[in-house]
Amino acid sequence: MQILLAAAGLLHWVNSRILALGRWIGIIALAIMVGLILGQVFFRYALNDAPNWTEEGARFGMLWMTGLVAPLAYRMGGFVAIDMLEAALPKLLAGLLGILLLGISLWVLLIAWDRGLNNHVDTLSGRGCSSSLRWPFGIEIGKCGAKFQNNYQYSALWVGVILLILVNIELIIRQVITLLGQGDRLPAINNNALAGAD
Amino acid sequence: MLLWFLPIFLLLIMIGLPVIFALLASPIALIMLEGDQRNVVAGLYRNLYNGMDSFPLMALPFFMLAGEVMNRGGITLRLVEFSQAFMGHLRGGLAHVNILASILFAGLSGSAVADTSALGSTLIPAMEKNGYTRKFAAAITAASSVIGPIIPPSGIMIIYAYVMGESVAALFLAGIVPGILVGVGLMVMVRLMADRYDLPKAERIVRKDQTITPLESAVSFVLIRINIAGVLYAVSGLVTWIFPMEVNGWLIFALTLPIAHVIAQATKARVSNDFRLVCKKAVAPLQTPIIILGGILIGVFTPTEASAVAVAYALIISFFVLRSMNGRDLIDVLTRSALSTSAVLLLVGAAVSFKTVVSLSYAPQILSDYILSLSDNPLVLLFLINILLFIVGMFLDAGPAIIILGPILGPIFVDLGVHPVHFAIIMSVNLTVGLATPPMGLVLFVASSVSGEKVETISRAILPFLAVEVVVIFLITYVPAISMTVPYLAGFLGCGPEAGFSACISPSP
Repeated sequence: MQILLAAAGLLHWVNSRILALGRWIGIIALAIMVGLILGQVFFRYALNDAPNWTEEGARFGMLWMTGLVAPLAYRMGGFVAIDMLEAALPKLLAGLLGILLLGISLWVLLIAWDRGLNNHVDTLSGRGCSSSLRWPFGIEIGKCGAKFQNNYQYSALWVGVILLILVNIELIIRQVITLLGQGDRLPAINNNALAGAD
Repeated sequence: MLLWFLPIFLLLIMIGLPVIFALLASPIALIMLEGDQRNVVAGLYRNLYNGMDSFPLMALPFFMLAGEVMNRGGITLRLVEFSQAFMGHLRGGLAHVNILASILFAGLSGSAVADTSALGSTLIPAMEKNGYTRKFAAAITAASSVIGPIIPPSGIMIIYAYVMGESVAALFLAGIVPGILVGVGLMVMVRLMADRYDLPKAERIVRKDQTITPLESAVSFVLIRINIAGVLYAVSGLVTWIFPMEVNGWLIFALTLPIAHVIAQATKARVSNDFRLVCKKAVAPLQTPIIILGGILIGVFTPTEASAVAVAYALIISFFVLRSMNGRDLIDVLTRSALSTSAVLLLVGAAVSFKTVVSLSYAPQILSDYILSLSDNPLVLLFLINILLFIVGMFLDAGPAIIILGPILGPIFVDLGVHPVHFAIIMSVNLTVGLATPPMGLVLFVASSVSGEKVETISRAILPFLAVEVVVIFLITYVPAISMTVPYLAGFLGCGPEAGFSACISPSP
């Protein structure tokens, strides 16, 4: 039990900090997205010359916002699920079902991690160069030089999958500890501030 | 064998797996069982990514952010006071106010949850104080909040349009009349109940001696005149349509401005000072839907750009005109929007991945054959599909339900001669009403937490209002003109002028 509690405490500490950083990057990305699209409108109507990179830049921000903030939403219980069965079952069975569901989720995430790395991020397309996104101030990096490499963008989802895996493992350990009757010794996860498209 | 993904998927979501993982787990499991020689799973991952990498989809976080900013900026009370000034004096006045405020709020936020939470916390205590039962107040708040995602802007319509490749603008326009119809239907029901349960009237003006800052007054002064001039400009378009002539648009607009001023001044003289100020204080918030729809309709903005402009407008109004937000509030609304939309965007990505498997498995064709074997009459099939959607809506939120069922059912009904936009509206309205149906209606839970009333009690009290909403669902199903006239007139249905109204809104199978 002590090992489990230590693991849960460690993951709670790690995830809380990484996801807090992700949250800040996510909200900055959201603010930049709004700024870029407003800039696009301004340049089009005020200067009659819309830049070609604003749209891709905003999509870049949206992907990273999703990758970094979705794991936080998952940790707060913000992924939609029908939890009627879990609520109807006795405590022990509900706990076991919870572990099964988290196990299936982990399996999906591990496959996504593998395919994401080998068939998306680290591919010919991933190593290719962006058509419109460029580094500012004449900076040149790697073989793409002034242009962004595609996998800077592709990595957003893959990093998100890694964070989701970390959260998932934390949730599994928490669930096991709760099942063993020691749930009150776990640090609380803050879960307000969630709505949805509905 | 791939066809088994659908039952496995249903099983997984029924046992409580988050929808995102269920959308991915069922096809991945079957593909891997078959050996995955062509690395189809990698294709699913790429589609998950491509599904999120979309410019039109960006409207979703922006509309959510605009709604959050407006809500935080203290507009709820302004909308309630504005609604009360118009409808408070009727029998069942505050219930009418609740519905009208929901209609107005719908133009700002597009979320039933935000509507219930914002209006419920203001109106439920006020209704109780006015002599309504708490369960009635909570029920009418929950029932009217479903108007939120029907009237544009609407999060679920953006999702539907993206997943199904439809025009966001067409869906937005098609939602206006059904949303208002739900509101009017609820008002009729409240009026009937007012006689039976002796529901009270309320004061039209709650707070006497209303005040307004000079800046807000000036902004409202300008906006009111511009809006009246805009209406006059649109009417002038009707005149030039009847008597064709070449006139500069800016010249017409400049001419309509003094007329607008005269109209505004004449109206001002006929109402009390408090009534005038209550209306004036609602002008700036209510400009948001006008900017969004006006910008899209005129062709100045794409829906995504309109949503970004709505965010900018909401920020300017909240920070500089109403002065009701500070930096801390801004960080809070950005966090809430990022959290909510990131989960939804990942879900949309998973849905695009799922859609690939839907088409690979021939599920729509097989389901289509099955559905057509039930009846070859589209009217009967539409009835059955409405029942199915209503049942699904009882258990699943509107967004995920649309993501799952849209790619499966959409093509079948389009082949039967139902216009894609019409089917989108049927699905959206039906599943949105599902947000207020027991046992899993999301807004019932929100109404319960806001009011402190049990979900079961609200579920019983809401039944008469749900009956009205079901009638509206069938009305818009069997009378396509209700939802399709506005997008047709605005030219967003993609029909040439030679097609004709009936052929355009109800194409041949």
